[in-house]
Amino acid sequence: MSQGSRNRAGGSVRPGVVADAEQEFDAYFRARRDAVRRTAFLLCGDWHRADDHAQAAFVALHRHWRRIRDRAALDAWMRRTLVRTVVDESRRPWRRERATDTSPEGVVEGPADGPADAIATRHVLVDGLRAVPPRQRAVLVLRFLEGLDVAATAEVLGCSPGTVKSQTAHGLAALRAALGDALDDLRPAG
Amino acid sequence: MQEHGEADEARIAALFREAASGAPPPGFDATQVVATSRRITRRRRSAVAGAALAVLAVVGVGVVAGLGGPSDATVTAASGQAADAAGSGSGAGPEGAARAAAPEAAAPDAAGGAAAGSPFDPSAASSPGGAEPVPAPGPAAAAVPPIGTPLGPGTGECADRQDPALRALVDQALPEVVGAPKAATTLECRPGGERGVVLEVGGGILTVTYLPPGAVTAPQDGALTAPTASGGTVVVGSRADRAGDAAPLADRLEPAMAYLAPHL
Repeated sequence: MSQGSRNRAGGSVRPGVVADAEQEFDAYFRARRDAVRRTAFLLCGDWHRADDHAQAAFVALHRHWRRIRDRAALDAWMRRTLVRTVVDESRRPWRRERATDTSPEGVVEGPADGPADAIATRHVLVDGLRAVPPRQRAVLVLRFLEGLDVAATAEVLGCSPGTVKSQTAHGLAALRAALGDALDDLRPAG
Repeated sequence: MQEHGEADEARIAALFREAASGAPPPGFDATQVVATSRRITRRRRSAVAGAALAVLAVVGVGVVAGLGGPSDATVTAASGQAADAAGSGSGAGPEGAARAAAPEAAAPDAAGGAAAGSPFDPSAASSPGGAEPVPAPGPAAAAVPPIGTPLGPGTGECADRQDPALRALVDQALPEVVGAPKAATTLECRPGGERGVVLEVGGGILTVTYLPPGAVTAPQDGALTAPTASGGTVVVGSRADRAGDAAPLADRLEPAMAYLAPHL
């Protein structure tokens, strides 16, 4: 029994509508997968887990696809789902995060301003983000990677703009404290 | 100051973008996402369907028990009486029902007087242990036919002195006697159309008797009588164990009789 006939038997959705919805989802997936993976990576600090979280968020999106009427709100929905997934997982006892002095992916040595420098920057920042509490980390990622303003970040996280501002300040302070002098660009501008 | 803040944010944003670059090839594609989504949806639907079936099964069992309870009890009581009647041919005496009830009444279980013979388990009348769980009022109510289909006369050769169907009605009329142990009854073979329930209640005995149409009974002290829906008579009475004490449930007899009359 095809998906279309199954839905027809259920009396809820016509086959053509199902096909359209699948195509829409596929287009959205292709357009947003890499961005969602990047966000997940900075949220959790590991590409394998980032893929797991991103896939879980897309699966949840697919399951709710036909019920999300406001297509303009898809990105916000995905961000909210992703942040919730990562933050919830970070609270589980067997996945509870601990700050470490060493990167699990090793330290990359190399000349400044080269590819190795970019990799080193990535490791340093990701390590520093691990030391930031998950909620504050989510605020930093949404604001500085996703480029959301305070209001949009507050909407995704379901909190007030004031909370976003304070979490941003606390998160940056924690990140700077964790990195020390490792990244000049994180120092407050004079 | 504002410019410094914006410059800070721009530098930090650039750092974040750089840190998130260099992603390895993705570990999943749209096909996997859709397949996982459908698998989860199927599983959820199966779980919901299973839960619905379980609920329906429970409800169905309850309905069947509710519809089949009284007739089953009647049939079983009648069967018991028939067996007793057969037993009388072998010299065991015609008062089988009373004989079966008497030992239980004489030896209530040690769990605080829970009924040895539950009205929902007629076989318990022949259970020597008699340690049946106390029946809940709900199932008792379910075993009673609705008003409009009165219980009517018994069908045995001798009356069941601890009639399960009548006991179910009594439990419904007087929830305070649910679980009360059966009291000892005489071995007298009363006419088969009669039904009886005799219970040990706090400080005395509660007696409920149904008489079929046309039967007459001598008035009993303190007992209340009323015509029933089937044309018979219901007699409800109680007496104290010790002379001079107040009869138990005296103030509950009238409402109980009012409840029983349309059901009998």
